[in-house]
Amino acid sequence: MFCLVVQSYLLNNTTISKKEFFISLTRYEQSVFTTTINLPAFSFSGIFPRQLFSFLGTDGGQSGLDPRFKMILWSIIAGTRGGINRVKILNLLKTTPMNANKIATVMNLDYKTISHHVKILSKNNLVVKTEKDYGAEYYLTQIMKENQSVLEEIMQKIGTK
Amino acid sequence: MLSAVISAFLNIGLLLVVIVTYVQNMRVIRSYYTSGLVLVASLLMLQNIVIILFWSTLYMDDKALMMSADMVSHYLFVINIIQTIGLFVLVWITRR
Repeated sequence: MFCLVVQSYLLNNTTISKKEFFISLTRYEQSVFTTTINLPAFSFSGIFPRQLFSFLGTDGGQSGLDPRFKMILWSIIAGTRGGINRVKILNLLKTTPMNANKIATVMNLDYKTISHHVKILSKNNLVVKTEKDYGAEYYLTQIMKENQSVLEEIMQKIGTK
Repeated sequence: MLSAVISAFLNIGLLLVVIVTYVQNMRVIRSYYTSGLVLVASLLMLQNIVIILFWSTLYMDDKALMMSADMVSHYLFVINIIQTIGLFVLVWITRR
């Protein structure tokens, strides 16, 4: 833009003075910086179905689900090695709080494996431990309880297999 | 040049680990999320394969090109090593 003004000055330098040039340059700059560009209205949802890229689900987030939580839960379950067992643990704890040993018995897995999974779930604020030193029970956190439908959705997808 | 190639191969190895995990999960949970993870990791892997193929072609075709490739190889090394660090973190998170 500046170059254009300079070019026009160089072309017409015989007809305008330096002062006139700087006045015109200032006016030009003012017009550039105050011009509002009206871009045409564009939305991706008009081209692609909203559900394809959204974590809100088919109801558009009306059910009160937190889309960020949904994404985190999906990452922990679908993006990690022990994710499948982790979602099964969450599904068990949904109805009754259990300690690691009981979870291991119900799921027919090693105690150490369950202990590791529960530690990861606890670190990600999905389960909490009761304040007991021995045989502490784990239960779902408030945010996990509020978003149980995500868990059900994932469990359904596992169930189909 | 050698370090850039090593890091590209390292990236492919790390991506293989990630893809295997994602595919294992996808076989149990069939959803657009799991499919998307596999797709993204596969495309990253393709990128690294293309880098190796492209640079090996440059390196072997002509001596002049080989010198040019050597001159700019440190840029490629920086790009690859940053990706390697990122993938190490991803593998660590995924395999926990």
